[in-house]
Amino acid sequence: MTRALLTLGMVVLSLCREVGGMALLGFYTFVNLLRGRFDAKELVRNLYKMGVVSVPIVSLTALFTGGTMVIQSGIFVQRFQAYGLLGWGTGYAVLREVGPILIGLMFSGRVGANNAADLGSMVVTEQVDGLRALAIEPIPYLIVPRVLAMMLAMFCLLVLGDAVAIGGGMLFGKLLLGVDYASFYASFVDAIKLWDVTVGLLKGTFFALMIALTSCHYGLSVKGGAVGVGQSVNDAVVAAALLIMVSDDIWTMVLR
Amino acid sequence: MIALDGIRKLHLDPVQPPVFDGISLRIAEGETCGLCGPGASGKSLLLKIICGLVRPEHGTVEVAGRDLGLASPDELRSIQSRIGYLFQNNALFDSMTVQENVAFPLRQRLRLGQEALDEQQILARVSESLRGVGLATHAAKMPSQLSGGQRKRVALARAVVARPPLLIYDEPTAGLDPVTTAKIYDLLGTEQKLTKSTTLIVSSDIDALRRFSDRMLMVYRGRLCYDGPSADMDESASPVVRQFVRGELEGPL
Ligand SMILES: Nc1ncnc2c1ncn2[C@@H]1O[C@H](COP(=O)(O)OP(=O)(O)OP(=O)(O)O)[C@@H](O)[C@H]1O
Ligand SMILES: [Mg+2]
Repeated sequence: MTRALLTLGMVVLSLCREVGGMALLGFYTFVNLLRGRFDAKELVRNLYKMGVVSVPIVSLTALFTGGTMVIQSGIFVQRFQAYGLLGWGTGYAVLREVGPILIGLMFSGRVGANNAADLGSMVVTEQVDGLRALAIEPIPYLIVPRVLAMMLAMFCLLVLGDAVAIGGGMLFGKLLLGVDYASFYASFVDAIKLWDVTVGLLKGTFFALMIALTSCHYGLSVKGGAVGVGQSVNDAVVAAALLIMVSDDIWTMVLR
Repeated sequence: MIALDGIRKLHLDPVQPPVFDGISLRIAEGETCGLCGPGASGKSLLLKIICGLVRPEHGTVEVAGRDLGLASPDELRSIQSRIGYLFQNNALFDSMTVQENVAFPLRQRLRLGQEALDEQQILARVSESLRGVGLATHAAKMPSQLSGGQRKRVALARAVVARPPLLIYDEPTAGLDPVTTAKIYDLLGTEQKLTKSTTLIVSSDIDALRRFSDRMLMVYRGRLCYDGPSADMDESASPVVRQFVRGELEGPL
């Protein structure tokens, strides 16, 4: 009984520590960002490393996401002869839900994990101490550029991903269901409002914030050498996935 | 130059005894001090406390006449920029080339307005520093392309490039062969004569360290168990110190 209580207490405590640490990191990041205190060179470097390099993998994910949506809805579309709804169905699902989540998870696995490992190894090899010893604060120099770069990169990748997914939907619709491009496009344009696009972009950018905060937090709190780095990467990816799922539910309820 | 008073620092792991339990010492300007002690006795941590990277729970740290605990962020920055620090793990920035790494402290001083150098002068200083450690031809490489010893030498070049009045070296010769070790100490000596800087060195290579520095410090179980001339270490009254310098199996350690 006391053992169980003790374990529960430890779990709650460590949860508070991680969430608190992330919130604090977010707060400091925000304050420094507002004051314009961040390293522009690092921002550009990270934008390239996180954004540009992710273009192929995100495009591929998006293409097949569009395809999956068409294949899934294909059964019903064929049964009810509802070919005119394919564009709407695919567009709605991809733009509002599936796109941000899948691209978010992909982004977390690629960029978030990489970021946590990068920061973790900087901690382990004393590079963070080295910066501080040269009177450079880690938050404006290391964290703000990364958070900003992840959010910007994610926004752009989502715009790209949305387009590719819709294109993929069109392509697969034509190949598998014989829906011609014009009718797909017409039903898409008819039914999808700008708001649907906005919701998806807002969500995705928020996911990027979550990915950034988890990966930075776990990266900076690495302890115990190379093994610790691996553990932190693991924790960061799991935490980011959890936060994406939970915040997605909340966003879906708030932004109808 | 350095004055520590009653430093007490708790261990990260609460069940362990404190890492430091009342350390006081004074290092005068221009002095060369060696710091030794068994593994995990807190040598690196003490250096970080002196540099203001870690704050002790109790006690005061004074560097260049300023109390680090009371200094404003700006003051702390200006003190830190006068310290050259070679980290045990080198702390070379992975994303920069060797040349950029060595130029980094100079650029930072330029940004803080403590140095007026143009790009040409910076590059000249960097290549001079790299030539000093025998790595002039490796300037364009990334740290990950170098061997462990080469990385150590780059880190050394970076620590001394800004000619700071206080130099802190954490294991400058760990993992280096005897000839390179001798070269490194030769280099440290040249640097020391040139800049008259205060130097504090941590090393496990006790003999080389004692040959180089006039004064030795030893930490053991949270306290300074030796503080005196290097030559008298063998004859110290403390059996711990005697065993440590002689490297004997039998004894209190
Ligand atoms: N910021 C910190 N606060 C409290 N304790 C710390 C801190 N950093 C390290 N320690 C602990 O202090 C102890 C001494 O670590 P330190 O790295 O200073 O040893 P060291 O003497 O340099 O050892 P080595 O010879 O292996 O380099 C370790 O047990 C470590 O866990
Ligand atoms: Mg050490």
